[in-house]
Amino acid sequence: MNTLLRKVQRGAALLLLALLPGTLLPSLVFASSHMDAPLITLDPAANTTDVYAFVDQDNGQKFLTVALGVYPFEEPGIGPNKYNFDDNVLYQIHVATGRDVAAGRATFSYQLRFKTTFKNKNTILQSYLGVIQNVGDAGQNLVQTYTVTKLDNRNGRKTLLGSGIVPPNNQGNATPYYNQGDNGENPAKDGVATEAELDRYTKESIAQLGNGYTAFAGQRDDGFYSDIQAVFDLASLRNPGKDSQGGFNLHLMALEIPVRELGGDQQLVGVYATTSRRSVRVLDDRRDDDKKENKNNGPFVQVARQGNPLFNEGLVAIADKDVYSRTSPTQDNQLFRKYAETPELAALLNAAVQTNRTDIAGIYIPDLIKVDLSTTGVRFAGGGAGNPMNPDDPGYSRLSIFGGDVLRSNIQDPFHNGGFIPGGWPNGRRFGDDVLDIAVTALVSDLRDPDHLIIHSPIGDNVDKNDMAFSKVFPYESTPQNARNHQHP
Amino acid sequence: MTEGMGQKIVMGKKHIITNFVNLRIALAPAALALLGFTGWSVAKLRPGSKASVAIAGSRTTTPCALALAPTPGNEGIDGEIARLQQQAKRASDPSRALEQLGWLFVKKARLSYDAGYYKLAEQCAACMETKQANSAEALLLRGHVLDSLHRFAEAEKLARELVARRGLPFDFGLLGDTLMEQGRVRDAAAAYQKMVDLRPDLQSYTRAAHVRWLTGDLKGAIELMRLAATAGSPRDPESAAWAYTRLALYELQAGEITRALAASDAALSFQTDYAAALLVCGRTLMAQGKATEAVEILKRAASLNPLPEYQWHLADALRATGNVAAAQLIEDEILQRGAVNDPRTLALYLGTRGEQPEMALRLAEEELRLRQDVFTHDALAWSLAALGRIPEASGQMKLALAEGTKDARLYFHAGVIANRLGQKHEARKWCKDAAGIAQMLLPSERTELRRQLAKL
Repeated sequence: MNTLLRKVQRGAALLLLALLPGTLLPSLVFASSHMDAPLITLDPAANTTDVYAFVDQDNGQKFLTVALGVYPFEEPGIGPNKYNFDDNVLYQIHVATGRDVAAGRATFSYQLRFKTTFKNKNTILQSYLGVIQNVGDAGQNLVQTYTVTKLDNRNGRKTLLGSGIVPPNNQGNATPYYNQGDNGENPAKDGVATEAELDRYTKESIAQLGNGYTAFAGQRDDGFYSDIQAVFDLASLRNPGKDSQGGFNLHLMALEIPVRELGGDQQLVGVYATTSRRSVRVLDDRRDDDKKENKNNGPFVQVARQGNPLFNEGLVAIADKDVYSRTSPTQDNQLFRKYAETPELAALLNAAVQTNRTDIAGIYIPDLIKVDLSTTGVRFAGGGAGNPMNPDDPGYSRLSIFGGDVLRSNIQDPFHNGGFIPGGWPNGRRFGDDVLDIAVTALVSDLRDPDHLIIHSPIGDNVDKNDMAFSKVFPYESTPQNARNHQHP
Repeated sequence: MTEGMGQKIVMGKKHIITNFVNLRIALAPAALALLGFTGWSVAKLRPGSKASVAIAGSRTTTPCALALAPTPGNEGIDGEIARLQQQAKRASDPSRALEQLGWLFVKKARLSYDAGYYKLAEQCAACMETKQANSAEALLLRGHVLDSLHRFAEAEKLARELVARRGLPFDFGLLGDTLMEQGRVRDAAAAYQKMVDLRPDLQSYTRAAHVRWLTGDLKGAIELMRLAATAGSPRDPESAAWAYTRLALYELQAGEITRALAASDAALSFQTDYAAALLVCGRTLMAQGKATEAVEILKRAASLNPLPEYQWHLADALRATGNVAAAQLIEDEILQRGAVNDPRTLALYLGTRGEQPEMALRLAEEELRLRQDVFTHDALAWSLAALGRIPEASGQMKLALAEGTKDARLYFHAGVIANRLGQKHEARKWCKDAAGIAQMLLPSERTELRRQLAKL
């Protein structure tokens, strides 16, 4: 066992003892943002898992693709009825541009609101009335539609970009076209390399909105991968590790934003997401006349926030995790800089540099995923370098810059190397980025001085890929796991 | 009906209960002896309580040793309890594990209907305080245990301290819970408003819905309880089941039978064999006149949670099917155990049947010393009426109706008492109001209501 690995194990063991939050599922707490802050863990429809943001090029046009996952550890076999977007939740993906990036202030907010309808309420068949041939057809009883609205926070102007329909959850025989051979008995289809190969339901649910936007909202495989169970089992890492999110689904909202909508590509933008629920009037002692005009609903109150992976989960102390959930990135510098500059995790890992970590703070404060729009499109993960039908893009590395996967920026040169910056997180975040390994490697390294970078060999949890291949086309995350043949013990 | 009502309050991962009925704790001489041994002065444990067995085996009086003593049981939650106990024993700072363990004991109490687990949760709080004085987490845990043990004034004091110190959503929730039980609805609503403004979720929505219902806004209660139900999680199935159960009751009161059954089904889909949902389901079937079907479901509910409210519904359903002998057996049990299991419901039961009125009054008066909510005033009014002390009953009835609660049993009692005072017009109004939502009454109460209306 090498020294570095022992350090990780020792550090993680201490982490286990020190950071276990009070949840009913303590062993799952440190999983990306799948179980981050105590108050949000039991509100799965509003509980964010991960945010993704990266540059994509399609037919010569450049997009910022953003995505937000909710419903951590969505068990496919638990049935289709309990996992749907919540009509009462305001889902927002925020983009900061210009000076707003450093301030942690959203310039634009993309708001997704869902509406659930049933074709037939006089039945126990809540989700499906029969085999679904096409999204929204007579076989799909529960139908969710959504709207996407762009809010310009500088002037409060709202623009309805359009609407979409949510495809059915993958139950098996009711939804055969998600599955191999279009047979509901088979496992779900893997990720694909081209749009033409997408399964029928996914293809039918990709919505072309106004102003060149594209949207998708629906169930997908959870593309986060890490051996969280081993990390929390006294850091008894194993080789190979086990993907703790393996076999689980989530609900994903993805949006392709033309960069012209953000003011062009010669800039750095910041991305984060929030979910909010409405406050309500507890005691309604208004006159009946007033009640006709005013509904119970009060203002939306933010209940969850997500930016870079692992910040609230891995760096923010238990006492402040719920504070993080309800605050804005504009307060990060004041409230959370200490956790980034002096990360407890660095000490637990026996990192050589444990204080004054301006490099870590640069990633997390404010907690926006910073994306350099001036680069070419990112390299995508597929089903691995050797996958004959859906190989990773040449040069792609799950470890981003630590694996030699870089992009060239036209607007910055942070490492004094001619403008080469990470090809994945922390320059944006792609599906497939091994964020746990990247984060731990960064913590045990010293990236503060661009002229004297000290980078230790990549270390991690021995889980190096997702259990399903990613798609290299929108919406990138793979088809949802089949409930019929996926259930965790 | 009088929603005796376990307004179960669930807080994040922390399942908090203020179950006014379910958590009434049985008294047993053997348990008292045990508690004397362990130094508890007022706690009461159900006979045969697994928690009491665990405590008896601990041979110690220190909070930490009691909290970490092995507990029996082989369900998933028991394994989790054992795991956390081991973790707490091993840890250099066991505070987090103890906190989690304490809330797990709270959950176990609710799932097992064994209130002794609350005492174990209380020991966790005490143990945490030995590790860290003035721990807010320990204070919150202790506060909820005290609230669950009907020590509302003590719990309120802790809640106020928490609100002053940090003012987190749960702190306001606890404060509101204790105030509700003490009949201070407006103050409780203010605390809940703070809670929901800080954190709109299942926990705060259920509280808001309850306030709406209690203050007579059934439509608002349904709307808010739907919000609560949709914010539930399969990871916390009992909380979701609770919200759907309450929603089922509201829908039943609104006369929406199909929706009520759908909501109770939804509750049971989250938590199989959930006694409260089975009770509502059985009541809904009774309202449909399906007594035979209802009996089977109510039998299951009463076997899971053998409290007077459950048994009373079962006994009435059995009588409705002509099975008088079986009903009498259940009624005997209500009389034998009701005084310790749920004295307020027993007082109502005795008052309705015109049996042992002095005992009914004593039980209601004792209950009023603990909590001063509208349903306890109703129980006292009904007991006084059974003794023929009608003017006093009328005074208590006014207090029971003071919040504008739209409750069939309150209306029924108000009508009877007004009639006996000679206030025919008022009596007719109340009885008609009760008849408008008669599906919420027990069959025996509906029979008496019809008799009253005929006389008026």
